[in-house]
Amino acid sequence: MVKVAHVQLCSCCGCLVSLADTYEKLLDVLNSIELVYCQTLADVREIPECDIALVEGSVCLDDHHSLEIAKEVKEKAKIVVALGACAATGGVTRYCRGNQLSKPVHSSFSPLTEVIKVDLAIPGCPPSPEAIVSVITAALNGDMEYLQPFAELAEKGSEACGCDLLTKVVNKSLCMGCGTCAAACPTRAIEMIDGRPNVTQYLCIKCGVCSVQCPRIRFPELIEKIE
Amino acid sequence: MANRIEISPTTRHEGHAKLILEVDDEGIVNKAYYLNTTPVRGFETMLRGRPAEFAPIAVMRICGICQTTHGIASCEAIEDAIGCEVPDDGLLLRELVGLGNRLHSHPLHHLLTIDDFLKPDEANLRIELIKLIQRMRKVGQLVVDIVGGEGIHPPNIVIGGMRTNITERAKSKLYYALRQYEKDAYELYEKYTELIERYLEEVGIPDLGSHEYPYIASHTTYGDRYAINWDSVVEIPPQRYYDDKEAIHTTTIQIPLYEGVPAEGGPRARLVKFGNFRAGGSALDINIARAQENLGAVYRALEILDEVNIYGKTRAEVEYKDGFGIGVHEAPRATNTHMAEVGKDGKIKSYRIIAASTWNFPIVEKAIEGYPHQYAEVIMRAYDI
Amino acid sequence: MDPFGTYKKVVSARSTLKEVLKTCQDGGIVSTAFIYGLENNLLDGVIVADNAGEFKAIPKVATTPEEVLEAAGTKYTVCPNISVLKSAVREYGCEKIGVVGTPCQVRAVRKLMKYPVGFRHIPDKISLIIGIFCMENFPYNGLKLIVEEHCGVKMEDVVKMDIGKGKFWVYTKWGETKAIKLKETHPYEQVACHVCTDYTAELADISTGSVGSPDGWSTVFIRTAKGEEIFNKMVEDGYLEVKPIEEVKPGLGLVEKLALTKKEKNMKEIEHRKELGLPVPY
Ligand SMILES: Cc1cc2nc3c(=O)[nH]c(=O)nc-3n(C[C@H](O)[C@H](O)[C@H](O)COP(=O)(O)OP(=O)(O)OC[C@H]3O[C@@H](n4cnc5c(N)ncnc54)[C@H](O)[C@@H]3O)c2cc1C
Ligand code: SF4
Ligand code: SF4
Ligand code: SF4
Ligand code: SF4
Repeated sequence: MVKVAHVQLCSCCGCLVSLADTYEKLLDVLNSIELVYCQTLADVREIPECDIALVEGSVCLDDHHSLEIAKEVKEKAKIVVALGACAATGGVTRYCRGNQLSKPVHSSFSPLTEVIKVDLAIPGCPPSPEAIVSVITAALNGDMEYLQPFAELAEKGSEACGCDLLTKVVNKSLCMGCGTCAAACPTRAIEMIDGRPNVTQYLCIKCGVCSVQCPRIRFPELIEKIE
Repeated sequence: MANRIEISPTTRHEGHAKLILEVDDEGIVNKAYYLNTTPVRGFETMLRGRPAEFAPIAVMRICGICQTTHGIASCEAIEDAIGCEVPDDGLLLRELVGLGNRLHSHPLHHLLTIDDFLKPDEANLRIELIKLIQRMRKVGQLVVDIVGGEGIHPPNIVIGGMRTNITERAKSKLYYALRQYEKDAYELYEKYTELIERYLEEVGIPDLGSHEYPYIASHTTYGDRYAINWDSVVEIPPQRYYDDKEAIHTTTIQIPLYEGVPAEGGPRARLVKFGNFRAGGSALDINIARAQENLGAVYRALEILDEVNIYGKTRAEVEYKDGFGIGVHEAPRATNTHMAEVGKDGKIKSYRIIAASTWNFPIVEKAIEGYPHQYAEVIMRAYDI
Repeated sequence: MDPFGTYKKVVSARSTLKEVLKTCQDGGIVSTAFIYGLENNLLDGVIVADNAGEFKAIPKVATTPEEVLEAAGTKYTVCPNISVLKSAVREYGCEKIGVVGTPCQVRAVRKLMKYPVGFRHIPDKISLIIGIFCMENFPYNGLKLIVEEHCGVKMEDVVKMDIGKGKFWVYTKWGETKAIKLKETHPYEQVACHVCTDYTAELADISTGSVGSPDGWSTVFIRTAKGEEIFNKMVEDGYLEVKPIEEVKPGLGLVEKLALTKKEKNMKEIEHRKELGLPVPY
């Protein structure tokens, strides 16, 4: 069976809760893999060799323990998945600036994708349970076509923001006003005005979901198949 | 001669932590250090100079399990600072979304602890309990999804109240889901209590993990800033609390004290303060109190569905002015407090969070001390941190 | 080039519901399907484009047949229907949702169903996707200029607009009809439409439009098993009358011609943008 590890870096655990929100399906998921490490759910204290590591959270560059886990993941896992915005795009941790007690020195946080080579990145704060399961399933089946967009994000999608809608869609004469980005935004930072997204910048947590969801940036061909 | 045992990382709870135990020749813990090792993302400093509306959105991301309580406490603090009164229906929905969160968080915690009490040959019971728990969690999250807008980090909790009301259809959907929860919560309470009683009997230490420290709680189902004397609350750096170098430099939290000493918050604290739950017993009593709170929460949630006017106003106009406010919400795991200083420009001047779980860090240490070391994690887990 | 995408069947059809025929655009297929769905528990909420006055379009979650009727008729302007999809599931508590949209909106829905990264618990609640044919769309003030400056009609007097037979038509509440050549409206088109190669909402369960069928009738593509099921039920229960597309005029040939025109023209635009080094959806 495929060995899967869930590793938590600097995160809120919400991504794991999202996976647990598959409810009755969770048992199916857990039965189709071997969960070899998950500090929140099981008593294994050291990350073992594994096929897939789902890594949640960003890396605190000012905390050697955090850096060590990132390094360990890279050595132990065949496929590294940045699970959720913090790991994929930085998410809310982009705003961290340190000087807080009791560790004033913890000031620099980077998404995992900017610290080690990551194979797949799932943005979202948190990503939906359905998306997490789809990615795990595709990874188990080796469905590279489905995973392609996530592989691209792992490679070059770490800088994400509501502004992407402006720079990549509206400014490029590609926005046709469907409103998908507005519905996707987890903080409701996007309002559709005059048929275009208006992003309230100070509510944006740089989760990357709006641009990932926009059909005018990326529209994988496999979506064309309907039954 | 004292041995030093280190359990790192501790498992089956949220966040990163480790336990350092000084154990005597009989294996009894003389001194325990329960140290949070999660790096400090620094939500307090992150908010300085940012628009107040960002605060609830950001602080929810402190914890993905009890995001709702942070969102509520944050709004409450800012509303208190600027003298903003949330309309009744907004307040009811806010209480409801907070309860929804409790209805999922408590069962999740039961899920994390059951392996402490089940035996290897009880695999079927384990699956049965997991299914029951998942069913309950689903209802809790449904409440948060519908009322809060998202089950994890609900964006409808906004300064001034709630972003929207719910529809009649949504209300009836919640009603039927909660009625199912009620049944499940009874079943879980019975099964779970039985497991704990059996465990304590087999261990032979009926008061496993007891301590003599006071309780802190402000309300049963929501939160009340007036129920706590804030002059008696301090947070001190680990440098002042610990005498151990490793503890001082490892832990990433500050230590909250009530009237100079640690205080326990959470299900037992609430049920002792506002009910007649047994005080001073085994730490495992907290697990029972938690299962009992599921029932209290579901009843109150049903009551709110009756009370709320789905055509009522849920959000007040917000006008900023200079001020300082306190927001208190009873998180699943303890009293959660946010303090905000706001400027008339609508920006945060300073922000302080006494996160619910930090109350119980020093208490866990006290509860572990005096008992055999092999039960340290079981005691810790009763506190849900 | 494939003009229509995958489909099982194409027919000409019209609603039998009087109240629908009074307010709908063409054969009333969309409103009838939604009303049928709501009345028969196949749907519990539908996303439509409401008229917020003077043909300003705003997305709405409708949960009753009355609300569906209020939103019937085409608004030739951008209406971000998908922006309310999440609240349909959340605050409205719907579990069986119908969505109507232009081809691009239908594509957006299909994408979020396959890649639901930011759509927690949504994909399984989308029960029916109805697409409406679309050649192009207009920003609201573009539409206003067409109506007020080219047709000479005050927006507040308009009761219906239509595109057909090479013209843009405006009907007023005073019973007058104005029309201008469609060519005159081109300068007001949303330019983002020019990279769109989908005319007949190829990814919908059911797609419909006026082209190909006589006035008051609609051309309907039934594309998926889901679409087929509800369409057949509607016919069986007498909500729709149906004619074979071969028996109506102008017939499928015209739809094909327009679909191919759109595809060819906009493929060229895509190539052109690529040459300039501008991004295009991929
Ligand atoms: C911009 C635009 C361009 C079109 N171009 C063509 C064309 O070239 N050829 C053709 O045959 N048909 C075209 N149509 C479709 C046509 O006008 C009718 O909408 C369609 O035939 C359905 O008619 P009906 O009587 O079945 O629907 P009705 O029962 O009248 O219902 C129509 C539904 O569409 C919704 N709707 C209205 N406007 C919009 C909008 N802007 N965005 C999303 N939803 C909306 C309404 O809320 C309503 O639910 C176009 C429609 C639009 C919006
Ligand atoms: S992405 Fe969001 S949910 Fe996931 S760990 Fe980060 S803050 Fe939490
Ligand atoms: S999802 Fe893309 S095309 Fe749709 S409104 Fe947003 S930016 Fe525009
Ligand atoms: S605008 Fe919203 S969806 Fe887009 S990156 Fe910011 S928070 Fe995420
Ligand atoms: S032409 Fe295409 S992009 Fe423009 S509104 Fe119609 S379907 Fe959407």
